Amino acid sequence: MHSISVENVYKDFRIYDKPQDRLVELLLRKPRHRMFHVLQDISFSVLEGKSLGIIGDNGAGKSTLLKLLVGTLEPSGGHIDIRGQVAALLELGAGFHPEFSGRRNIHLNASLLGVPDDDIKALENDIIEFSELRDFIDRPVKTYSSGMYVRLAFSIATMVRPDVLVIDEALSVGDIAFQKKCVQRMNEFRAQNKTMVFCSHSMYHVQELCDTAIWLEQGKIREMGKSADVVAHYEDYSNSRRVYTKGEEQANSHQDEAPEAVKDCRILQTLVRNVDGELIEEVDPLQDFVMELQAEILNDDVICYFGFALMKDLEEVMSSYLAIDRPEVEHGPFKKGERITVQVRVQAMALRVGKFHVLSGVADESGLLWYDTRLSKEISINPGKGWGTLVMRSAWSMQRD
Amino acid sequence: MFFSLIRQWVMSPIRHFRLFHQFVRQEFSGQFAGSLGGFLWLFVTPIVNISIYSFVFSVVFRAPMPENFGDVPFVVFLMIGYLPWFAFADAMGRASGLLLEKAPLITKVMFPVQLIPMVGTLVPYLVHGIAIFVFLLYLATQGYFDLMWFWLPVALGLQFLFTMGLVAILSAFCVFLRDIQQMVTLMLTAWFFLTPIIYPLSLLPEDLRPLMMLNPMHSFVQFYREIILLGDFSMPHFQVMVLASVISFLLGGWVFMRIKHAFGDVL
Repeated sequence: MHSISVENVYKDFRIYDKPQDRLVELLLRKPRHRMFHVLQDISFSVLEGKSLGIIGDNGAGKSTLLKLLVGTLEPSGGHIDIRGQVAALLELGAGFHPEFSGRRNIHLNASLLGVPDDDIKALENDIIEFSELRDFIDRPVKTYSSGMYVRLAFSIATMVRPDVLVIDEALSVGDIAFQKKCVQRMNEFRAQNKTMVFCSHSMYHVQELCDTAIWLEQGKIREMGKSADVVAHYEDYSNSRRVYTKGEEQANSHQDEAPEAVKDCRILQTLVRNVDGELIEEVDPLQDFVMELQAEILNDDVICYFGFALMKDLEEVMSSYLAIDRPEVEHGPFKKGERITVQVRVQAMALRVGKFHVLSGVADESGLLWYDTRLSKEISINPGKGWGTLVMRSAWSMQRD
Repeated sequence: MFFSLIRQWVMSPIRHFRLFHQFVRQEFSGQFAGSLGGFLWLFVTPIVNISIYSFVFSVVFRAPMPENFGDVPFVVFLMIGYLPWFAFADAMGRASGLLLEKAPLITKVMFPVQLIPMVGTLVPYLVHGIAIFVFLLYLATQGYFDLMWFWLPVALGLQFLFTMGLVAILSAFCVFLRDIQQMVTLMLTAWFFLTPIIYPLSLLPEDLRPLMMLNPMHSFVQFYREIILLGDFSMPHFQVMVLASVISFLLGGWVFMRIKHAFGDVL
């Protein structure tokens, strides 16, 4: 049975030039706004006892979607149906009163979630126990650290046993030990056939805790499916730290060895310029252009090798340029705090259509350990006349005998 | 649509009684938490204000003693009007900030938001109710007590409903238009001086007096005075009070319920 069903949901925020226009419109029902579409045509459903992860870049509409599920925002169009009681953890202790003790706040928060008085008394001890705040529970919560705050909030929200639990980024606060406890608690939750919606930037948690996942991009569902798949695709898309070298195989094997290398160097940005030095986001076929990386050295005596690649789809390397055998590029040793700009000029863009990214990277002496990599903005190619994906410099001739 | 909104509004403190209760407790003790004098201010503020007004009016201006009220000390006359007004003004003054302060709660937690203006009105009335009660006890020991006093809780209840409607509208509008906060302060000052609280009605020119029937707060103040000082039940004032409080309570509730769904978008 569906626990959450969302059908063709839209959410527009109305943008008003003057704040009072909103009031006038509400009262007189005369439109005075411009529309900003936050969510468009969102449909999904979550079965009872399943959990859903929501991932996506900042501003993709994740929080708005959660608020719609919780009910603090109303959809502009479409229909949301949720069975059972919903408890939400959208912000750390949203209902907390800073002057009151943790114990008072347990009561207040639980009644906000609709728990009867007697039940709260029974739950109080469990909540205090789980939150590990026994020594602090009678102090005002304004004296709590943010970790303590979230521990109390999480304990209350999960202890009242809602049918649907909506959590936004809550696990990112709190120490590792408590995070583990939270994950355990959430797994118990799933075992009890409760439904969960979970939004996080922690791909690990989404994969661990969710059956399915939704990838939101600019207010639309870009992908929906098994959480492992969606997370994998999203990571491919967003992970600018991924290592791309001469071929994919090497890249993948490499990743397993050292996902987070000790960083001696950091890339600040990857830019694409035209030959006059201006930043560009479009190139013409056969145009010359310059790829540039700006890096900061984070340690003394660092040897760096630089590389660039043209990436198609973020998966496939179309062409790569490495500075390992280039005597004209200095390799160091560099000093801590130094800033370096490296440029490669490439000639005659051979692609006729499409889009690509430039990936820049900095590797250590061995050329195997990549300190950092970073993608440029997406560059598109202005298609010229003709057919096919490639263009090459060409010279014609003709003879007539 | 109209009636279902009204019903939701009227019923919400009963349907969500537990939450209502928690909120009231929270706000009530929140008023006194964190400030040293806490409870003391409750008495100090009206006493200081009343001393100032008594000085200005009975010593500086030598206002004639209020007609028709017999031989009453001016201070008593003043306080009967001033204490209920103070409850009204306090609730109204807080109204504009009610929802703004609770913005994180309103946007992050689903709960009956209409409880907020209700609690926001009830708490000042409870707090000032204590002061009024103490004052009445004092008057009773001075021999003013009359069986007609049992109308006072009814009248105060009506004044409470009247206030709640206005608070609901103000708090809701303030979400969209923050300038209301400043406007309320000005409006309250004007209203205070336009109501015969610190001066008796008899000081007003004869032809202006009927206009006062348009000011419900005047009816409330006058009603209290006639009950307490004379033991008279004034029907015309009572009618105005009932009419004003019912209209304000229902209309305020309806406006609030109608626009509350948009709070999440703005806060």
